[in-house]
Amino acid sequence: MNKIDLTKPTRQSVKGLVFIFVQSIRQALRMFWAFIAILVIQRNIFDNKFIIGIVLLVVLVLLITHSVFYYLNFFFYVKDGNFILKKGYLRKKIMTIPLDRIQSVNTKQNLVQQLLNVVTLEIDTAGTVGKELKIHALEKLFATELQDQIRSGKKKKMVAEPAGKHGLIEVPEEIILKLTPLDLLKIGISQNHLRTGLIIVAFGFQIFQQIQDMFKEKADEYSNEFVGFISNSNWALITFLIAFFLIISILFSLFRTTFKYFDFKLLKKEGTYRVESGLINKRNVVIPHNKVQELNWETGPIKKQFGIYNIVFKQAVSGQNRRQQLVDAPGCLSKHLELLKTDLFGEDQLSSTPKIYSNSYYFRRLWILYGWLPMILAAPFFYSEWLFYGGAFFWIIASAVYSYLILKKHYFRMDNDQIRISSGAISHEWKQMELYKIQSVEFRQTIFQKQRSLASLHLMNASGSMTIPYINESMAKEIYNYLLYHTEIAEKEWM
Amino acid sequence: MENFTNSVLLPNDLPPVETEKFNRLDKKYLKISFFRILFFAIVIAGAFTAFLILAEEKPSTLILIIIISILALIIAYSILITVLGFPKKGYLLREKDLSYQKGLITYKLTSVPFNRIQHVEINQGILAKFLKLSSVKIYTAGGNASDLSIPGLPVEDAQKLKAFLSEKISEHE
Repeated sequence: MNKIDLTKPTRQSVKGLVFIFVQSIRQALRMFWAFIAILVIQRNIFDNKFIIGIVLLVVLVLLITHSVFYYLNFFFYVKDGNFILKKGYLRKKIMTIPLDRIQSVNTKQNLVQQLLNVVTLEIDTAGTVGKELKIHALEKLFATELQDQIRSGKKKKMVAEPAGKHGLIEVPEEIILKLTPLDLLKIGISQNHLRTGLIIVAFGFQIFQQIQDMFKEKADEYSNEFVGFISNSNWALITFLIAFFLIISILFSLFRTTFKYFDFKLLKKEGTYRVESGLINKRNVVIPHNKVQELNWETGPIKKQFGIYNIVFKQAVSGQNRRQQLVDAPGCLSKHLELLKTDLFGEDQLSSTPKIYSNSYYFRRLWILYGWLPMILAAPFFYSEWLFYGGAFFWIIASAVYSYLILKKHYFRMDNDQIRISSGAISHEWKQMELYKIQSVEFRQTIFQKQRSLASLHLMNASGSMTIPYINESMAKEIYNYLLYHTEIAEKEWM
Repeated sequence: MENFTNSVLLPNDLPPVETEKFNRLDKKYLKISFFRILFFAIVIAGAFTAFLILAEEKPSTLILIIIISILALIIAYSILITVLGFPKKGYLLREKDLSYQKGLITYKLTSVPFNRIQHVEINQGILAKFLKLSSVKIYTAGGNASDLSIPGLPVEDAQKLKAFLSEKISEHE
């Protein structure tokens, strides 16, 4: 494919016709499935096969006509620094996006599109505008070219450098990270099975209890021995269930990982990253460095054994597609992490600053919240059962350990320009951002905190918020004032 | 600020957000708060009566007394918090940012720099319209968490504030 002339109105790929057609069949099925189901079930209403045939033919012709018209009336082009999209034949729609408002240009590919070798191109705009633009069937090469042109077009506009230096030399894309099937296996195994497992176990428990209830009704008719037998087999059953659901959750994670991260690649080119991955639904996301509001990385007990981190690039949220804006790179080694950090934040200054931990009073609050409060609330219902006291004791100990782990991992490091906040309990998560990306700051203090001159800070950026809980009140105030000062004198574009 | 060091030891001469200088909300705003509590009480009382009429088994007097006193306590608590918490509520406009504080049990102070405001909006409920009050809502790019709403402003003040902020925003664009 040669250079694309973006100034001329362009249609989608001819293969797009097939895709549009398939989409419209899907849509029609979705709209009329109830109607179709009735037709299938009560065959005697329409005995005459001839009529059914005619109806089907008419519908088919209508859908084809729709597809063709839709295809013929779908144009996009660039004019006066705006990306313009025209679509619709009965009701026409024109969408205009200024090029410098484009946040990112991403592509996606589902199974049908993979067969046709076309992609969906998504153009996402920044922040509050919150509208995004989709082109569903573009030739893959064309899409990449378009992606590149919009990227470089933007750059030229922003940097305003003489074209001679930049424009001619094509900078090759460099692969930072590529996940092999073995990596995928590692990532799948090191997912949080406890969480998945607990959900499944809770679900299983409900079924188990229903079975038990059923048995209990009958148990009255039989001797006490039978009741004894049932309650003895409880433990075996519970163990079996837990093992069973754990295996299921591991398998589930493995499948999920494979589908989502198959052939995962993290690439770098000039000031942008690109992520490519997926087995059935392929995605291709571009992240300009300066659009990253916050970099998160996380590791857990199993991940630590493999030496891998899960990295999330947090970009500005535009309302509806909150999920989409999270681009993650699982299975990064520490060298990859260091590379990304250097790219985004420059040379590491933070590691030489002191770790500032949350006050130990934070532990007390967590312990009360997770340990004592649930126990006290549960007490009126179970106080007559001796098992409750054992369980409560265990719960209090476990929650103390949990809260202690949280306290131990809650610290932050800060210098003039950046902050890194660490948190976690079993797993360990870090969040780092440039201070000028702050949108607003919040100071919080409960009356209990006030008594001990403690306070919490919430730092909001365009992708979410960060919390520094239970630090010294005067320090919180100083940081508060500094953050405001720093943001107010900042000249750099936060997005 | 040249020799601003690399640690968290921050300079002392940064302008603090002085909480005693905050502007209080209009007293009439208390009426709106009370009306909200009244509305809540009526809804709860209605639901409770409906339950009593429809329930097949009437609960014992003791349980009734307990439930009613709990509800009464909740309502009394909300009234108390509203009255005592009112003086805490207020906003402060500085050269480069806008702050809002509130909260008796959990004190919250939020500041938004002008160069991060996306747009400003004036809202007015039915009751507020009757009392000639409005609230000013400030949107940032941070989503709901970082948006700021200042209620209980006299209509004129709200409009002035909005005009002022809009001008500040356009300076930064």
